[in-house]
Amino acid sequence: MMTENERWLTAHHDPLAALYTFSACMALADLHGDGESKLIIADLGTGAYNMKLKVYKGTSLMSENTLIDLPTGVITFHMDTTEPRVPAVAVASGSYIYIYKNLRPYFKFTLPTLEVNSAEFDAWSQARDELLDVSMLYEILDSLRQEVGECGLTTRSQRFLMCPDHASQATFLNQHKGFILKRQTVVTCFATLKKSHAEDDAISCLVLGTESANIFILDPEAFTILNSMSLPSVPVFLSVSGLYDVEYRIIVACRNGQIYTLKRGTKIGRPTAELTSQPVGLLKRDKTTIVATMDQNLHSFNNKGKRLWSLKLPAAITCVETLEIRTLGLTLTALGMADNRVMIYRDKHLVDTIYTEDRISAMKFGRFGREDNTLVLVMKGGGLLVKILKRTARFEIEEAQGSSHALAVKLNIPKKTKLFVDQTMRERENCVLMHRVFQHDLYRLRLNTARAYVQSLETSSNPVSLSQTEPLKLSAQVLGLGPTFKLRVELQNTSSTSPSLQLAVIFHCDDRIYSVNKSYIQIPILIPGVIHVAETLVTCISELGISDTVRVFVVKGKASRPLLTAVISMPVAEIFMGS
Amino acid sequence: MTNNELGGSVVILLPEHLDPNRKAEKSLYTMNPVTETPESQVNGMTTTTVPPGSALKAKSRPRKAPELQTVERRNWLIHLHYVRKEFDLCKHLIREQLEETRGMCEYANYVQGLILRQEGKIQESFELFQLCNILNPSSVENIKQMARALFLLGRHKLAVEAYLQAEDKLDKPDWELHHNLGVCYLHLKDYDGSREQLMFALEQNKHHQTFAVLAKLYLLVNDVSSAISTYRAAIEYFPENGDLHTALGLLYMQTGKYQQAFEHLGTTLTFDPNNTRAILAAGSMMQSHQDFDVALAKYRVAAQSIAESPPLWNNIAMCFFGKRKYVASISCLKRANYLAPFDWKILYNLGLVHLTMQQYTSAFHFLSAAVNLRPTKGHIFMLLAISLTYLDDEENARQAYEQAVRLEERDPSICLNYGIFLHNHNDKEGAIKMINEFEVRMVKFRHATGADLDTEIIENGAKLASLLGVDGSVFRKKPGRTRLDAQDETVLLEKTASVTDTLKPVEESVCQSPPPVPTAIPELNPSEVPDAGNTAVLVPPMEALTLEEPPAFVSDSSNARGKFLASARLQFQEDESKVTDTENKKETPNSGFAEYSDDIFD
Repeated sequence: MMTENERWLTAHHDPLAALYTFSACMALADLHGDGESKLIIADLGTGAYNMKLKVYKGTSLMSENTLIDLPTGVITFHMDTTEPRVPAVAVASGSYIYIYKNLRPYFKFTLPTLEVNSAEFDAWSQARDELLDVSMLYEILDSLRQEVGECGLTTRSQRFLMCPDHASQATFLNQHKGFILKRQTVVTCFATLKKSHAEDDAISCLVLGTESANIFILDPEAFTILNSMSLPSVPVFLSVSGLYDVEYRIIVACRNGQIYTLKRGTKIGRPTAELTSQPVGLLKRDKTTIVATMDQNLHSFNNKGKRLWSLKLPAAITCVETLEIRTLGLTLTALGMADNRVMIYRDKHLVDTIYTEDRISAMKFGRFGREDNTLVLVMKGGGLLVKILKRTARFEIEEAQGSSHALAVKLNIPKKTKLFVDQTMRERENCVLMHRVFQHDLYRLRLNTARAYVQSLETSSNPVSLSQTEPLKLSAQVLGLGPTFKLRVELQNTSSTSPSLQLAVIFHCDDRIYSVNKSYIQIPILIPGVIHVAETLVTCISELGISDTVRVFVVKGKASRPLLTAVISMPVAEIFMGS
Repeated sequence: MTNNELGGSVVILLPEHLDPNRKAEKSLYTMNPVTETPESQVNGMTTTTVPPGSALKAKSRPRKAPELQTVERRNWLIHLHYVRKEFDLCKHLIREQLEETRGMCEYANYVQGLILRQEGKIQESFELFQLCNILNPSSVENIKQMARALFLLGRHKLAVEAYLQAEDKLDKPDWELHHNLGVCYLHLKDYDGSREQLMFALEQNKHHQTFAVLAKLYLLVNDVSSAISTYRAAIEYFPENGDLHTALGLLYMQTGKYQQAFEHLGTTLTFDPNNTRAILAAGSMMQSHQDFDVALAKYRVAAQSIAESPPLWNNIAMCFFGKRKYVASISCLKRANYLAPFDWKILYNLGLVHLTMQQYTSAFHFLSAAVNLRPTKGHIFMLLAISLTYLDDEENARQAYEQAVRLEERDPSICLNYGIFLHNHNDKEGAIKMINEFEVRMVKFRHATGADLDTEIIENGAKLASLLGVDGSVFRKKPGRTRLDAQDETVLLEKTASVTDTLKPVEESVCQSPPPVPTAIPELNPSEVPDAGNTAVLVPPMEALTLEEPPAFVSDSSNARGKFLASARLQFQEDESKVTDTENKKETPNSGFAEYSDDIFD
């Protein structure tokens, strides 16, 4: 079996590139028409600030443009027919698409606003004209929220409702009431769609998915909306094929775990497949769609939504990417796994695995520099790894690798020793005798046990009293290192109702070895369930460094027989040198 | 609280003085030129942009509207991290988002709820979904998640109510909702309601989960044929789903359709060679066909993933037993026993192997442990009686036989063994009674299964009958083979246990005491008793002993194999039935559904 080293060369590895990005935020394109493909990465920075559009030429960072908001995706596309054929870069971010030409900002496209709820609109207009005061406005908007839900309101109303007190609401109203009320949405994913020609450098439309569960197709030249379609849920991943002017198909994975298909002429997404888990990635093949899901499965569906196959994967999937190797005429699927590797599948057969030092966060395959088959990997820790596919690499499906692997494994069966065999022989020869001796001893053991039990019951030398009249439980603890120990005795009445009276604890020991501070402790009335603690100090007076036992008796009244007995084995005391 | 701070953060975005020109345009800085023309409200209008650089001036720019960032602007990011299972990052993002929006961001709360659920904090996640529902009462998704949380909390009635509420709000039927309703009803023991919902769910969309639950439902109401047809339907839609094939295979096994069972288990193993349930089931069937090496190869695969499964080691042990590697067999059984000390079947097998090894004392120990755990199984008493016989404890052996005959009412071999025992102890009357009983049971057995008993048992029966002077015609179905087989036996015995010789003389003297003894008898009585016992144990639930029966006992070992194999097989039979037992038990309490499949063989 070929290892990854035999197929892939590491062209560049920068573990400190500090990139925070997704596959959708990476693109490979020849931005300058010089025949050398650049890597464009929209870096999410810290996730709050320091967002950058970075362009790598070879292994070095060529340029950096600051981005205003978190980038959702980056795409390169041809928006006109001017020569030289240099693609523009589109960055989706918030409600906008920023277009860069020659890495200079060129256009900003704003997503169409959504319809504002008329009641909300009226409320704000009245507030502007001071027909409504702050608290009334608040009430109106709050009840409106109950009705249409948080997401049905404009951002302004949402923020207004977030203001915690009257004063801040009033300030907010004053600041905002003069402006027109708009409801904006956010781009969640985008892709390109060739307009009328299929060539690589033909003009492409942009296809946008938005938080308002719409799909928009934009004209690349005028930036008008050519087509607008709606979905039942928010789109997460898009896969587009075909030509806008002829026939096209957009496959959308949505947040409700369903896959929808949109075609030319449709306005509403047609449900294609229902997943049982959230999609993590969506790839389009000629006639099939490959979907990776959160429950570690890879599914393949045909265009009608019939499941062709499913694979259970060994770890969670973080990202997916198509590897289209034109020289081999192959289209492979690369899966970035949570267990630090990239698994490459040809259909449903694993053909290669690339092990990495960190989990993969984003992948892009394509032409980079002058090398056609390059896989760019971004790690979760921010590292950048560029792998080049060797020209000699082949991806043959290996048959039956699993079973050969299994056969090689031996069962772990413990070996039996000679002793075992000898004992077996002995047993065979003397089985009757052994059995009789054993049974005899067993009966003895049982008899002895029973006798000991009876004896301990008779002399009350057990720590749990079984008598019906005084159900008590005793536990003792020795604290300290010596020579002075603290003996802690816990007494508990285990009956459910009747309290115990007139109890006392007596400590008994060899007075040559130990001296007990309080050898007799009176116990107050014991209420059922409550633990009473009696403590005394015990000093080891022997200088021989030996230890002995201390007996604890629980007696009742003037009875001569103890109710319970506990024998405490004392630890060896540490001896003070001075004493 | 941070409220003021948060209010502040919104205000910070505002310019110093208000703009008369109302533009809620992002006041941002790199892309928008100062001289930008007012943007019209036309959708999709484009604006020219200016190179970065003017960013810092932006705040003081007069003509901009206060920027309000959309509450949903980071939903996509939260979602992306969530599906990639980057929960730490996701929680961090959610916390930021919720701080910024004072907890009003519905989607952030929603995903937080989902993450908490994955972490097992169901109650907390339920509260978050409730909050989502308050924020957006029109969303069905929130109610569905609330219902799901209630379901996971075991409050099925409330979950049903919530699902019904969600259903009211839906304009078109939803597979997931009806599936979950079906599962809830199942836990509430409303089987009809459950079936209805599951059927409806299947009408909406075919999912293997629904099929599986429906089949479980049928099994709960003891409708095995419906369960089988459900699985069959499921397999049409999911031909590569190993779990469905395995479940169907096991069901077929239970109903005795071994051919179909094997087909489906085989299919599972083609698609998923590491499916341990299928491996164990298929392996046990292979064992019953004496394919010990093939079965062992399968178990080797399973041992990789479930190295601590007692049934697996038990089965491996019985493979070795079948291959007459008794030491390995004992090793494996002891491991199985270590893993499952209270499993009487393993103890029983240990007893059986030790009996075969002529370690009667050890056998007695394991068998008495087994009998303490399962005092209702006649076969254990029989093995116990056999070991006691060898331990010279006649009285207890007799009692054990009595108990065995009382508890096991179908197996003929117990009577035979008891008969031989009585005969050897000069109780002719009792022996005749037993041989008659044996005959009755054997006829019943033939009648019930259409198959015949192991030849060896029949022959031993015939021998005993002739010794006692009873008409043994029933046993002489295959005339002319008695003598031959007896010889085979002896060869076998000498081979298996050359050590036995020490014991033999003792036994022979015992047996020779009965009056006119044909030469064959000594061989019959002494060592055969335990063997007959072995077979006997195994035979009862089986019908298909025909396989071993054809007059092909040319090789001496095949006969022995037949017995051992049968033993192994019985073991498996019982394993299967155990599986269903545990399943049934499990379904009554409200345990989650997903778990069973894993538990079955562990």
